[in-house]
Amino acid sequence: MRKRVSLWSWLLLPGTVWMSIFFITSLLLVTALSFGTTDDLGTPHFGNSLSNWAEVFAPVYRTVILRSLGYAFITAVLCLLIAYPVAYAIARHGGRWKNALIAAIVVPFFANYLVRMYGWAVVLSDEGPLLGLARKLGAPDDWRILHTGFGVIAGLVYGFVVFMILPLYAAMERMDSAVIEAGRDLYGGPLRTFLFVTVPATRQGALAGLVLVFLPAMGDFVSAQFLGGPDQIMIGNLIQSKFFDGQNWPLGSALTMLLMIVLLIAMAGYLRRARKDEQEAWQ
Amino acid sequence: MIRLSNLSKSFGEMHAVRSLDLDIEAGQFFSLLGPSGCGKTTTLRMIGGFEKPSAGVILLGGKDVTYEPPNKRDVNTVFQSYALFDHLSVWDNVAFGLRRKGVAKAEITQRVGATLEMVQLGELGTRKPRTLSGGQRQRVALARALVNRPRVLLLDEPLAALDLKLRRQMQIELKQIQREVGITFIFVTHDQDEALTMSDRVAVMNNGVVEQCGTPEDVYERPATRFVASFMGTSNLMPGVYADGAVTLDGGLTVNVGQRSFADGTAVSLSVRPEKIWLSDFEDGMTRVRGTVRETVYSGPTTTYLIDLVPGVRVAVLEQNTARSRNEDRWAGGETVDLGWRTADCLVLS
Amino acid sequence: MRKPRTAFAFTVLFFVLLYLPVAVVVLFSFNSQKSLTVYEGFSLRWYEAFFADEALIESLGMSLRVSLVAMVGSLVLGVALALGLVRARGKLGLYAGFIMLVPLITPEIVTGVASLLLFKGLGIPLSTMTVMIAEITFSISYVTVILRSRVAALNREVEEAAIDLGATRWQALLLVTLPALLPSILASGVLIFALVFDDFVLAFFTTGVTPQPLSVRIYSAIRFGIQPTINAVGTLMLLGSIALIGLALLIPRFFGRRGGLSILSGE
Repeated sequence: MRKRVSLWSWLLLPGTVWMSIFFITSLLLVTALSFGTTDDLGTPHFGNSLSNWAEVFAPVYRTVILRSLGYAFITAVLCLLIAYPVAYAIARHGGRWKNALIAAIVVPFFANYLVRMYGWAVVLSDEGPLLGLARKLGAPDDWRILHTGFGVIAGLVYGFVVFMILPLYAAMERMDSAVIEAGRDLYGGPLRTFLFVTVPATRQGALAGLVLVFLPAMGDFVSAQFLGGPDQIMIGNLIQSKFFDGQNWPLGSALTMLLMIVLLIAMAGYLRRARKDEQEAWQ
Repeated sequence: MIRLSNLSKSFGEMHAVRSLDLDIEAGQFFSLLGPSGCGKTTTLRMIGGFEKPSAGVILLGGKDVTYEPPNKRDVNTVFQSYALFDHLSVWDNVAFGLRRKGVAKAEITQRVGATLEMVQLGELGTRKPRTLSGGQRQRVALARALVNRPRVLLLDEPLAALDLKLRRQMQIELKQIQREVGITFIFVTHDQDEALTMSDRVAVMNNGVVEQCGTPEDVYERPATRFVASFMGTSNLMPGVYADGAVTLDGGLTVNVGQRSFADGTAVSLSVRPEKIWLSDFEDGMTRVRGTVRETVYSGPTTTYLIDLVPGVRVAVLEQNTARSRNEDRWAGGETVDLGWRTADCLVLS
Repeated sequence: MRKPRTAFAFTVLFFVLLYLPVAVVVLFSFNSQKSLTVYEGFSLRWYEAFFADEALIESLGMSLRVSLVAMVGSLVLGVALALGLVRARGKLGLYAGFIMLVPLITPEIVTGVASLLLFKGLGIPLSTMTVMIAEITFSISYVTVILRSRVAALNREVEEAAIDLGATRWQALLLVTLPALLPSILASGVLIFALVFDDFVLAFFTTGVTPQPLSVRIYSAIRFGIQPTINAVGTLMLLGSIALIGLALLIPRFFGRRGGLSILSGE
């Protein structure tokens, strides 16, 4: 059957070549340019300078990077807190509406990301319905959401919460309802059952959700741009400005690589954790 | 017609088929019978061209086809899963092979129509396979292979997914179709009744080797090995020691079996099929023993008695419910009963 | 089981907030005035403005072309990859499996930067074509991941049957395997179309000056202040997306199989 093997390998070839050229090579180019320099006209040149990497860790940039990490982390945790009750309500009490409700969560996700962010900015704006309601309930007039860190995080949560709900929902769907009934007998109240039975049983889904939210949140620049102010910029905004406004491509490349490295570390941590969970589950 | 010589197949450390030699004559209904994992499906797949043998030769009508791909062999297969093309109609499924071979349109129409008629699917040509019952899907798979008029048709447990009644019906029908078209059928099954009912010849396989090959009567009445004896129905294997025309069973009972080609003192198994043991109206010269009935199992046309000859030696005896047709005529547990069998019906296996 | 009221109330609140921004966009797309906070009456003027804006229509055309090409391109490459990954043995398979997964953990901005550098490095001027190439690259992984499990679930005997009946391996692939995968291929194609049409980041990094994809135009418009026309565009895009998702969910049913959300949730 040597012939058959070659047929399947032939099928692999075009896609592999395509991805090698347009993806792997391009990533290598970014890596190479992160050691490059710019001349007086702003034209990038390859080189072996470490100045971009030194600059990346200067206080100005360090603050932005740490802020991005903080925002992405808080976003992931908030998404988890929001997604648990929602996924729980749908998975356990959704009945025959389950699929429709999940579809209803997915549909806005397929609306254009920019338009959604724009609509969210209108809702959260100083004249928007949310703050209007808050003021009627007696909140101080100078409460605002836009142009604050909270605004950026709200944008990230709105953008990516669906990535948390889907894996959590899938994990809860897989749970045996007999386990929950047993938990009821053991622990009594629904809250205690939820904490001691549902949460541990869906840990893998939650872990996957955290990664799925953290990855895009860390690289996002739209939320900070539309919902934040100059003091809330994230690493994505820095990269964007280095490539478009500031025209410092080598520095932008170093920032891009830094972002990629941070995410690879997060990913490696997740994979180790997930593998450990799996091994424990086997024992 | 088909000759397999010294055929072997290993998957890594696992030896699925070991130095297999078989001759299958043209026009035969030939069965490969054995438990799962015995290598029968692997053998079939090597004949079909889906597995490349590790060693050995496959001759088809004198031509070496060992390394020919499946589409270059004049052999077609009916798969266990039927493997129908779900996106094509029944008609297009059956026409698939003829179209690949570039047969003229008019001939395709004629041959597909005739084959569908033969498997009684003449009305269902436009249906999609998904909408058919299991039995109908099975017929489509059969028609799709037969329409090509291959020299050999390979069938991989084609009836395994059908319920018992449909299965019995299809066994008879398959046999009729085979006689009608005169194509060599090689039929893989793990069901010994099926193999005995349908086959001209049966090869019983175990652990990658053919334990015995012969007519259904050969393998049932004259099993060559303990494995064949026990695989082909209940065989009352009783361990003992052979000496001078008799076997002394482990419980101390000595049974006359006639002169056999064993050295005295050889450990053997004595076997007498349940339906070969008489419980009354004995003939002269029969081996006669007494036993105690332990269990009486009534199953409609027959009754099975489990009888202890001596403690530790238990045999099953099968009797037609002809003479003893009422319950009170039959023996019950605990009763003593006379047994007898012809010496010729004794099998002595090493 | 007793109903957890707190979770229910929370879920209702969640859905309200989830749809509020979308509702605002849709509502104010029909506003007769420019305001985004005061609704002053029904009007279609922003839709008229959109259809009268030749540059926007050109962008729409470009986005449609890009989505279509990216869909076809990533399907061709992705389906072949999925088949190869499941069936092929050897080092090429391992390598292909690895580079398939990397894009899934790479943020779009990194892919965008990398594509931009590659095109500049190769001396390819940014244009509609560069957007298409970048979007294909971005979509291949999705197609492959979705289809890989479907390929693995296929009955190998069906393909063997085709070969047994005289088909060559390529014929078996074209006549039997691909038709069996067709519902999944179409459904993932529709999803890719929707994703690419909505994509902003990659398009932003790889597009030339004119024409620009619709999402890049939306970005510039939002950046430079209130543009009620964007509400109309956003509403139309939302309708388009809903139609596409519906189509993706229904496709398996056309083929007499159970439709499902599994495609959306990526399981």
